[in-house]
Amino acid sequence: MRGSAAKVLLVARRELVQRARSRAFRIGTAITALVAVGVVVLPSALAGGPSARRVGVVGEPSAQLRTALTAAASAFDTKVATEAYADVRAGQRALRSGDADVLLVGGDELVWKQEADPELSAIVAGAVQAVERQRVIDELGLSPGQVTALLQPHALRSRSLEPVSEDEAARVGLATFALVILFASISIFGGFLVTGVIEEKANRVVEILLSRARPEELLAGKVIGMGLLGLGQLLVVGACVLAALFAVGTAHLPDTTPGMVGWVVLWFVLGYAFYSVVYAASGSLASRQEDAQSVSVPVTMLSLTAYFVSFAVLENPDGLFARVCSFLPPMTPFVMTIRAAVGKVAVGIALVGLATYGLIKLGGRIYAGAILRVGPRVRLRDAWESAER
Amino acid sequence: MLEVHDLTKRYGDVLALDGCSFSVWSGRIVGFLGPNGAGKTTTMRCIFGLARPEAGEVRWQGREVGREERRRFGYMPEERGLYPRMRVREQIVYFAELSGLDRSAAERAAGRWLGRLKLADRAESRVEELSHGNQQRVQLAVAMAHAPELVVLDEPFSGLDPIAVESVAGLLAELASEGVAVLFSSHQLDLVEDVCQDVVIVDHGRVVLSGDVHRLRASSSRRSLRVTVDGAPWIPNVDGVTVVPREEGRPRVLVDASVDLDELLRLAGETGRVTQFSFEPPSLSDLFLEAVTGGGSR
Repeated sequence: MRGSAAKVLLVARRELVQRARSRAFRIGTAITALVAVGVVVLPSALAGGPSARRVGVVGEPSAQLRTALTAAASAFDTKVATEAYADVRAGQRALRSGDADVLLVGGDELVWKQEADPELSAIVAGAVQAVERQRVIDELGLSPGQVTALLQPHALRSRSLEPVSEDEAARVGLATFALVILFASISIFGGFLVTGVIEEKANRVVEILLSRARPEELLAGKVIGMGLLGLGQLLVVGACVLAALFAVGTAHLPDTTPGMVGWVVLWFVLGYAFYSVVYAASGSLASRQEDAQSVSVPVTMLSLTAYFVSFAVLENPDGLFARVCSFLPPMTPFVMTIRAAVGKVAVGIALVGLATYGLIKLGGRIYAGAILRVGPRVRLRDAWESAER
Repeated sequence: MLEVHDLTKRYGDVLALDGCSFSVWSGRIVGFLGPNGAGKTTTMRCIFGLARPEAGEVRWQGREVGREERRRFGYMPEERGLYPRMRVREQIVYFAELSGLDRSAAERAAGRWLGRLKLADRAESRVEELSHGNQQRVQLAVAMAHAPELVVLDEPFSGLDPIAVESVAGLLAELASEGVAVLFSSHQLDLVEDVCQDVVIVDHGRVVLSGDVHRLRASSSRRSLRVTVDGAPWIPNVDGVTVVPREEGRPRVLVDASVDLDELLRLAGETGRVTQFSFEPPSLSDLFLEAVTGGGSR
């Protein structure tokens, strides 16, 4: 006789294989991968390096000014093209038509089409100043040594009172990324679970299933199968994105410790498990696909709330609000994903894990109580009471 | 042996089962009959734990039925349940594995049943691509592939053409000869009479008649009378005659088994030329109608 675990695996395998084989799923995965790769590749492909800003100069600009402009621009990691205009009127025409970004008049006035661009303003001002300085140096006849002494900036030493986390930005990036992926996975695969559960209930295949397996085995199998499928899809999309990153040469992996990634993955798994069980239980309340939307509204609202709350937590991952939210089971996986990603691994993890486990049991009981009840939407209370104890 | 003992089940105000009791012996085919809403499907659901009775129990080989016992049962629900987009062979293998067969045994069983039900050429088709009759065969294969000791089929003949009916009936007979206990429900009474050895007739959640078909017919206190005089049906005007009108064809005439045949023949002869005179045990349809319309004679 096969044990419970073997049945769970059977159900999971069927779920995984059948769903992975469906054309809709394959096309969906391909589109997701394409979009993700596009997001990585397109910016650098379209940009083709920083675009040159065009500085219009009334009268013929000196060679020194051109050189100074290029040097000043490179300090801002950008490029400048210089264009000469015969008079102010011609220059202003160019400004209006967008052929020039700024117009330098008489070496001491900047004309803009509308709003001044501070960066471009600083570049031009720096270049003009450099040319003027050189003129004065030449006039005074200073020796190179004097020039160096005059222009050498005084070096300042720098130290910090507290250690600086150089990868703070990368961590916030990882947290945001993990959060979006968690929410998207929960929503997409939760939706699959709801339709799958209703399908089995509507065409009564569940009667044959339940004469051979327990409701909990079915539920666990479905959730695990769908979870593995989601993980597989994530891996495929992730591999495509990594390949794209390396291809465009901007691969910059967040410099986080493996331990932290481990925490993020743990909370991802717990969060997915929690919400998918609730989704499946919700699905069991409906008997027709038309009701799929309405039975899943409460779960969707819950995950959406948790998702937005997490962004508030991202602002202050160690505050009271973040701590309180860590202990509200529907929020926990989201909030803890953030806190783990920014390096605030919480105490009381066992407590929260237990709460999540309890909610999974609760979802299982509702599923067991509702899955065989056909006809109108099953009320939560009825499902609860008719479940086997 | 399956024993259904005193099952009572209520759905809201409706009493679906009211002390329903009967048995199914291994190697016997039992026809489970009753008007719509009599409690047939509810009884079957109770056997498989899909409905929980308020009272009564179901026993298999003397032991109360639990998950371990149900693993050796096969069930075909009335509302056929299959995954429409799953392939035929995969589906049979999957359900056989869920019933406890290992992968290779399940594959072998699927192959065997695909052959037996003449589905081998559709093994890789999706269920939704099959005709109604073929879907029904897949459903049968799913119910049987794990070699159950008891098979329960809810309306296995509904929607089948006569050839398919014949092959399913043959299959049930084969199963019974292999020692399987078979319980099936049906509305097609003539068919049931040919297929099954025992019948259980339920009405309003209670068993109103049960036993060996031939013995029930023979032991009935009624007889079916068929007399034709001058080419037209003749109905005697004596005590204890019941006329069952038919929508098509001649009405059925039931008389007491103790009626004086010579006297009847004489009465008929007085009205004209008698061309047909038959006096037989009642058919299953007669027994059924008698049982569910409250005649209750045994």
